[in-house]
Order: sequence, then C-alpha cells, then structure tokens
Amino acid sequence: MEEGKRNSAHGVFAHLERLEAEAREIAVKEEKMKQEEEKQARLKARVRELSLQRDMLLAKVRLQKKRLREKRAMSDPAKSSARAVLEWKIKNIKGMLQISYLTGISGKQTKQGVCFCISTAYESTYLDSYYVHLLVKPEVQIYQHSVPTFIPLEEIAKKYLQTDIGRFLSVLSDHLNAYAGRKYQADQLQEHFSDQIEGTVQRNSLCNLLVFNYKVSSKSKTFPFNVRLLYGDLCCSLPTEVNVSCTPDAPASLAEMAAAHSDLFRRVALHKAFRSFSSAEESVDGAP
Amino acid sequence: MDETVAEYIRRTVLKIPRDEIKTMLEKWGLLSETQLQTINFRQIKESISQDVVQLCEENSVDIKQAAVLDIIYNHVYPNKRVWCVYQMKKTGEEAEFFDLTDFKKKFKGRLRSALKNVTINFREYEDNAIWIRIAWGTPYTKPNQYKPSYVVYHSQTPYVFISASVLKSNLPLLCQALVLASNYHDIREMELRSHSLNSLKDIVFKRYSQNFQTHYPRPLQERNVAPKSADLRIIQENRNEKERIERVNREVFGDGPQPKLEFAQYKLETMFKSDPQMDVLDKKEPFRCLVKFSSPHLLESLKSLAPAGMADAPISPLLTCIPQKARNYFKIREKKHFFPESFVSP
Repeated sequence: MEEGKRNSAHGVFAHLERLEAEAREIAVKEEKMKQEEEKQARLKARVRELSLQRDMLLAKVRLQKKRLREKRAMSDPAKSSARAVLEWKIKNIKGMLQISYLTGISGKQTKQGVCFCISTAYESTYLDSYYVHLLVKPEVQIYQHSVPTFIPLEEIAKKYLQTDIGRFLSVLSDHLNAYAGRKYQADQLQEHFSDQIEGTVQRNSLCNLLVFNYKVSSKSKTFPFNVRLLYGDLCCSLPTEVNVSCTPDAPASLAEMAAAHSDLFRRVALHKAFRSFSSAEESVDGAP
Repeated sequence: MDETVAEYIRRTVLKIPRDEIKTMLEKWGLLSETQLQTINFRQIKESISQDVVQLCEENSVDIKQAAVLDIIYNHVYPNKRVWCVYQMKKTGEEAEFFDLTDFKKKFKGRLRSALKNVTINFREYEDNAIWIRIAWGTPYTKPNQYKPSYVVYHSQTPYVFISASVLKSNLPLLCQALVLASNYHDIREMELRSHSLNSLKDIVFKRYSQNFQTHYPRPLQERNVAPKSADLRIIQENRNEKERIERVNREVFGDGPQPKLEFAQYKLETMFKSDPQMDVLDKKEPFRCLVKFSSPHLLESLKSLAPAGMADAPISPLLTCIPQKARNYFKIREKKHFFPESFVSP
C-alpha cells in the first residue's frame, strides 16, 4: 500500500502520514512515561505514608515502655533500692564465676548437664584449657570433650566417673597439668637452648620420653652427652628415670659431671637445669 | 645405579611443581650444595629431572633413598590422596612409653617375615607424626614403587591414617604389623574419609574449635564488633530472628574454622512415609536410598546454610554431628528418635 502511495504523485500525503504516525508513537510513549512517573510518585507517597505510620507506632511503643519503667521505679523507692542491692549481688557472683577458672577447675551448668573447664598452668605460666561436658541423666557420662587422645581419659573415667566426680576431675587435672608442664619444659628447651643441643630432640605425644644429645664444655673443649629422660609417672612433670651417658673415651671428670647432671634433671625442671649449666659455665670460664 | 631407580627418581621429580623442586631436593639432602648449584632450575621440568638423575647416578642413590623423596613430596601435598582413619584398641593398661626404635623394628619385622619384597621407609616429623611408606611386591616380583601405601601415626594415640591407594590384599598384613608394633591388640576402620589429612587429624584429635559453655568471657570477642557498613535506608526488621539464627549456629559449629571434608554419605534403610491414602508402596519394606552431600568444604557450607536463609536453624543433628561422631558415612535405620524428615526438608 505504501509503495503505491510512494509511486503516486501524492508524495506529500505519504510524508504527512508518516509524520502523523511518528507523532502518534511519540504521544503513546509520552503517555506511557507519564503513567510510569505517576505510578512511581504514588508508590513513593505510599512508602512515605507507611514509614510515617511505622515511626508513629515506634514512638508509641517507646513511650509506653518509658511509662512502664517510670511506673516501676516510682512505685516503691524501697523496692528500687532493694533491687539495686540484688543487682549488685548478681554482678558480684557473676564476676566470681568468671574468675573461678583461675582455680584450675571450673564448671557451668548446661541444658544437658555440666561443662567443666580444666585450665593448666606450669610454674606461674597459664597454658591451654581443656573442656569436659558431662551428662548427668540417666547416668554420668561424657558427652563432649576437648582432651587430647593420648591422655588416658577413658581409663580415668572408668575408674572414677561413676563413683566420685570430684576425684575424676582432680585426677584428670593432674594428668593434664603434668602433660602441659612436660610439654612446656620440652618446648622451652628447644626454643631457648637449641645451641647446646645437637641434632633433634626425640619426643613423643605425651612428652614422657625425651632422648637427645647436648654439648658440654669443659676446659674449653666440648663433649657430647646423650640423655634419656623417662617420665614414668604421668601425673608428674619431673622424670622418674634419667640416663646421662658420654662417649667411652671421655675423661673421667666428665663421668662425674654426667652423674651430677643426671641428679639435676631428676630434681629440677629441664629448661631451668640448662639455664644453670650456662651460668655455671660462665662462672667457670670467668674464673682466672 | 639401577635403571628402575633412575626412572623412579625422574618421575618423582616430574610430579613436583617447578618452584618447589629446589626446596624439596634440599630437604632430601642426597645431593650436595655444590651439586644443586649446577642445576638450572629455570629450564623445563624434563631437563631438570634429567639433571637430577645424572647427579644421583654420581652419588649412586639406591631405591630406599629415592623413596625418601617420595615421602617428602607426599608430606607437602598430602591432599592429593584420600586418607582413611583407623582406630586401634588395647586390652588393658599398656606401657605408656613409646619407643620409636622398638616400633620400627617390630613393624619391619612383621612385614618382612610375611613378604620378602617390600620397601619400607620411616620419617619422623616435628608434630610427633611418623610417616611410613611401604612399597609392596610379591614373592616373585620386586616392590611396585609407583603404588605405595602411606601410613601416618602419632605415637601414643589409637588412630592411624592410611592412604587408601593400597592394593587391598595387603591391607590386613599392614594392619597386623601396625597393631603389633604399637602394642595394641585390635584395629578397625572408622567411617571417616577425606582428602585433607590435617582435617582428619583435627577431628579425631579434637583440635577443631568446639563450643563449650563457660562462665568466663572468651578472648575471641571480635564477633560482636563491626556491624556491616549498612545502607542507612535499609532497616533490619527481622533483627531478632537473624541474631537467634547466628547464636544457634555458633553454639553448634563453634567459632573457628571447620575441618575440611569433601562429602558425607547417608545410607537410608528407613520406611517410606507417605499419605496412607496414596498407598505408594504396598509392601512395607525399607526404602533403600543413598544420599550424598559433596562440597569442596562440606562443614563450612553447612555452617553457612542457616545464616543464608536456606535452612532452618538449628540444622538437623544428622549433619552437625559429623565432627563429634568422627564419621562421614552413616547408615540410618528405622529408630524411634531419628527424624529422617527433618533431614530431607530444605
């Protein structure tokens, strides 16, 4: 149809029609846009309305709460001071419960039973904490714990858990504290005295068997000593058996030193023993 | 040096990423400083491995020494293998003193008495882990160095981690040797498997963060601090619910990172519960079904389900008990207090 019109002599009409169509399209678009804008404006107004409503309601709620509080406070001045005393008492007890863990064994009642926290320490250094969560019904059993697997937890539980929970906790605490102490000594040794140690320190998970070589200097010559520390008592952080040996061709004076060292390791913490070696050597070298 | 040893060394070096080769060779310690300096570590791996083999020829490296390089590689990249956890049991009080030399002697002795052709290597690491590499042969063939089994054992613990690429027929012998050497009397496989060896250790040694209730404030209070830089026009109407979900989630999963597991598998042998009018199954038989959850990091994704709004908090205990029960393979049978429905619903 349009082709015909184009070919006809009435090109002007065709042009006019085209313009008309364009104008119609533009008008439709404008109409649509206007509708959209109106819709937006309406929605914005609605949002404003709703938020105004919500603010009013919130203000109402706040006011009511304030009134209630004032009422409560005003109702009885005596009550409010008694209340203050009670609050102070509660705060005090909460504070005590919070620091009770410094005693080493603390507990908290839970939905299922009691959760005990055993904190370990060695000679004024606090070390890791371990937890044991006990169920109390139908019988006392361990629900969850963070005790390392090489601590004989099941054995200790079998012996004491059913009969005497206090004893169970104290035995477990002894094991954990001793382990923490042995581990601390071994770690300190490797950290601070690595220059005196030859090779690696052979340890095991419980830190109850340590074997290593260390250097001893006498008369400006160094000799290797081999030491084997066996901690027979798992609740103790000092060894039960010490074997210090030197090479067979070493001078006799060293044998005495080995015996002295052996005795020292049995009595004194490992890293402290090594500290005394270095200070003894200094005094020896310093002597004229 | 034997052809097979040369080939084995060449292939082992090729496995290592190029940037790591120098450090691993240094750890291996079989080539001297001067020898290492002659290798150009910037050339392609093929050439590097040829150079290494050449130098090993000069040092006459044998297969046992070459195997140590394999252990070093696997210790740095343990996640390329799938590890299974085994638990050993002992009868009564056993000697608490673990003697490493005694352990090695008994282990080697047991294996060698049954099988002449094995290559056994031990390597101890700082965290008390003993790595054992065993290459298996038969009475008539030399050990296959390309399919070794790996065992990781921490002294004085009842757990052993075995890498599952073991030729199944040798597994009973391996278990026997382990039990004998460590003074236990029985061993069983736990339903716990993963690629991440450290995560398996975290689960059985209880090194992951569990949430225990205490009275004293925990040092990690940072979680209360930064509210997300909020657009002030957005108001959380649901704040209480959101906080409840986060609190419950924290109680179940704890604060720290979760151990890394790749899947959890549940074998259902429960009855199909349908509308009785529908009468779907006319035979009252258990509906056998296997549900497998997989993820690059399963426990972290479970932890983020409730905060993301994709599941109700608290999440089903069947999913959250995985680290505590130390298993990721479950069999669910019809029991009064199991709720299969809560596990199926999203």
